[in-house]
Amino acid sequence: MKAGRGGRLSRLTGLYVPGRSILHRAPASVKVVGLLCVTLAASVPPPNWWLLCSLGGLVLGMFLVTRLAGRLVIQLWAMRWMLVVVLIPQLVFLAWPVAVATTGRIVIAITAASLVTLTTRTSELLSVFERALMPLRWMGVNPVRVSLVLAMTIRTVPVIADRAEQVREAQQARGRYSLRAFVVPLLVGSIRHADELADALAARGVED
Amino acid sequence: MIDIRSVSVERDGKPILAEVTAQLDQRRIAVIGANGSGKSTFARLLNGLASPTVGTVTIDGFDPSRQAREVRARVGFVFTNPDAQIVMPTVGEDVAFSLRGKGLTRSEINARTSEVLHEYGLADFVDLPAHDLSGGQKQLLALCSVLVARPSILVADEPTTLLDARNTRLVADILMDLPQQLVVVTHDLALAARCDVALLFDGGRLLQHGDPAAAIDRYERELV
Repeated sequence: MKAGRGGRLSRLTGLYVPGRSILHRAPASVKVVGLLCVTLAASVPPPNWWLLCSLGGLVLGMFLVTRLAGRLVIQLWAMRWMLVVVLIPQLVFLAWPVAVATTGRIVIAITAASLVTLTTRTSELLSVFERALMPLRWMGVNPVRVSLVLAMTIRTVPVIADRAEQVREAQQARGRYSLRAFVVPLLVGSIRHADELADALAARGVED
Repeated sequence: MIDIRSVSVERDGKPILAEVTAQLDQRRIAVIGANGSGKSTFARLLNGLASPTVGTVTIDGFDPSRQAREVRARVGFVFTNPDAQIVMPTVGEDVAFSLRGKGLTRSEINARTSEVLHEYGLADFVDLPAHDLSGGQKQLLALCSVLVARPSILVADEPTTLLDARNTRLVADILMDLPQQLVVVTHDLALAARCDVALLFDGGRLLQHGDPAAAIDRYERELV
């Protein structure tokens, strides 16, 4: 049996890609701690070019080792406009080394995060979050529920994107374009989806 | 054994089901009727997604409204739209999600997940995002996610409505071959004809309960 659609959205969302690389086999907790270290190191002021280049090289190297370099290109292309929006105002108001370094930090943080999600099953990541949230139980935080909400958020992104595409196509078919006529059905559909999802969770015994 | 006695359901003062009584111990039960006839509400009563305003529902002696945990361990529910049922991002994770909190070890969960995905031809997609599956595959995944919990009763609410002819047949064949007691709400009269008994609903009332051929005949003569 072949899979259905091409998965363009999945490539953009950076969901797990099966593999046997050293990063795929590493424990999720180690990868999350590594991600925190890389992000913190990249954020240290003032900008240290050697450090930033080393971290950038490390992230690029890991993409090559995990054979996910193609995904890196897709991710960079997907965030090109965001980077332009971040970079240009800084170039206007700040010295160019600061502007480039700040943008570089963002690129390093995002690509390092996607490297973690691309090489780790969502369920393993959620287990790490559940363990990390355990100390907050005394405050009434339910780690299992928090991780379930995170999982459903990841799952719901492509569902809502599909719905948005359907609404857009319906507008195209009628030859009418209106922000209100796009937002209202999308919102109503999303609320209906939330209702259905709540029923499905209840049917699977989640609320018990 | 599904035992429904004098059940009425009202929503916002409007009757949805009226005075429904049925004892169901047959293996394959079809529920047919027009849109808005009360079929889905009837199905939802069986695992506590809807509660009777009047009357009692018991599943193997348990009341779905008050003993939801016991009933949901016995009654699996498949919805019309699999996108609304799939909770986790990838195929394997969604199936495994049904086994969380059941006291199983990780290796037991993996084994049962792998077994059910193999059985229904989804083993190659275990790490694939659920979103990348076709409509038929998503419905199979929804089915796998229910069956992995090994319920004794499966309730399916229009499971083939969104599928093409090939996938309709595939899902129908799978449902008919299940060892579980099956309650299937459907507009597919060919599927209803393959069941042991059919319940025909109209305007919230149970019009006929018995031989599927007779119920389908009456549905086509009087209600279509």
